[in-house]
Amino acid sequence: MTLALAQNKPTDSLNDVVHRYPDVPRLIILKTDVQRRGVYYTDEAIALLDPAHHQTSGTHIFGTRDGVIRVTPESLLLRDGTSIITTPTPREDNPYVVDVLNGTPWLFDGGEPLEEVEYWPAPVYYNKTSSSGVLMKNIVSTRPQRLNIFPYRYCTFWNNGNGCAFCDIVAQMKKSGKELSMPARLDPVEVGAVVGEALKEQGRFSAVFLTSGSIVGGTQPFDDEIDYYIAILKEVGKNFRTRKFPSQLVGTAFEKSQLQRLYDETGVMSYTSNIEVLDEASFNRLCPGKAEWIGYREWKKRLVDAVDVFGPGRVNTGIVAGIELAGPNGFSSEDEALERTLAEAEDLARQGVSTVNIVWSPRPDTALSGCKNASLDYYIRLARGLHGLRAKYRLLIDHDSYRNCGNHPDTDLSRLLPLWEE
Amino acid sequence: MPAKQTSLLGELLGNPATVGTIATLDESGAPHAVPSPFLRLDPAGRLVHLELLETSRTHRNLLRSIWFDRPVTVTLSGEGGRVTVVKGRVHKVHISGPLFSSYYREVRERLGDADLVGVWLIDAQEVINESYAVRKAREEELHPFFKHLDRLAVA
Repeated sequence: MTLALAQNKPTDSLNDVVHRYPDVPRLIILKTDVQRRGVYYTDEAIALLDPAHHQTSGTHIFGTRDGVIRVTPESLLLRDGTSIITTPTPREDNPYVVDVLNGTPWLFDGGEPLEEVEYWPAPVYYNKTSSSGVLMKNIVSTRPQRLNIFPYRYCTFWNNGNGCAFCDIVAQMKKSGKELSMPARLDPVEVGAVVGEALKEQGRFSAVFLTSGSIVGGTQPFDDEIDYYIAILKEVGKNFRTRKFPSQLVGTAFEKSQLQRLYDETGVMSYTSNIEVLDEASFNRLCPGKAEWIGYREWKKRLVDAVDVFGPGRVNTGIVAGIELAGPNGFSSEDEALERTLAEAEDLARQGVSTVNIVWSPRPDTALSGCKNASLDYYIRLARGLHGLRAKYRLLIDHDSYRNCGNHPDTDLSRLLPLWEE
Repeated sequence: MPAKQTSLLGELLGNPATVGTIATLDESGAPHAVPSPFLRLDPAGRLVHLELLETSRTHRNLLRSIWFDRPVTVTLSGEGGRVTVVKGRVHKVHISGPLFSSYYREVRERLGDADLVGVWLIDAQEVINESYAVRKAREEELHPFFKHLDRLAVA
């Protein structure tokens, strides 16, 4: 008997929430809970991993919950096409278990098989090497339908120790640089060449995604970050016949003039700037670099300004849901946190900016490493609330959907947003 | 599904004269039926339906089906008035990977600049022979009271 089958713990919280919210698909609730609790891969599950056919871990700019770099599945797919983006988690933290049933990987909890899962498929170009001799997957990585470009694996908010409290980008850069020979800063020309190679695989990719750590330098703060994105997007754009191509840039909250340059000079079609937490006091405490350089209210203003540049339904912000409750200074109750978060999200939504959430997974190399994330009930109420705001304010979220991202339970629900145009 | 029925569906779907239609349920429970021109069986005996548009009603309804366990039906209209209705449940959708890519290439070979958003797999749970001749004979055998008398009258 394998480890997962030998377990004997009930899955009450999952089943309770499934019964409490019949309007939310069980698969999305399961995804959310797996992201909340993490996964543990048994040796048998790891043995099913074939790097020739499956994506393996180690290409991401953030670390894992167990703090270890080793070969595991990059992430999982459910049978409705939903991605579960999660990382290996220590056994003692009670993660879901991925084990083998009838020759295929399954999610287990409490010793019971819950759902068959697939390991993300590997793209054809992954094991090719670039002109500088770097593995192409270490230049442009992928999700099931997305090309990921992480060109700069450092965030200058950390220069004076003001990195975000939940973030391990710098720690991960140091690890991945040493253990994976991954460059910290990519050459735009090389990025463009790898994207060109990736596009030779028909029917594989439907979006280009670009993000890096914040770069404060430049004539105007963040001009260096903008210039770098423009250089990369121009090289990437050489691979397309059309001026614009399905793409998402996740960057710092830029000035409107900077965004206009970005839009006018490149093929980028959507813009995301993560405010991380929708409460000013929490933002100042948990995102001190963002607070120092821009500030909470200005961040919101710049998001709204971005709608003028990119258009309605093409601008959003991300929150790391759960950090607002973490530690002694967090909200004292989930009800209070939810009310505050959704009120702020509605303030943005009525001005054309969507909010999406990720499920915060506490990581070892972060200031919040000792804290726990929120309850499953909280995450489902939040996902319903954010989806509901998009429905109320008629905000599409195609650019950050299950196809183009896959990390947001709320945008999974938005696969069934009303079709207003019909 | 019994091997005999799998074989029957395979035979029907292998005939180019067969026309496939997939019917799904929308949010209000209303049925929505459209042609399914790429319909086939996979090696496991599941029906394969290809969806070309992310926001098509059928694609969204199939998602509702897999999320909320709602049935779908596939109708196969063949030569000689042969009609077969398959009631099923959505098993899975492929959105990426080798199987998806192979169908993507096939769709583009047949349609030119077309896209593919999902390869839906449907477990057939019941196969119903809805051919008129078969249904008529059955009706007359089992329900002889449901018949207009002029059909029995002396000419």
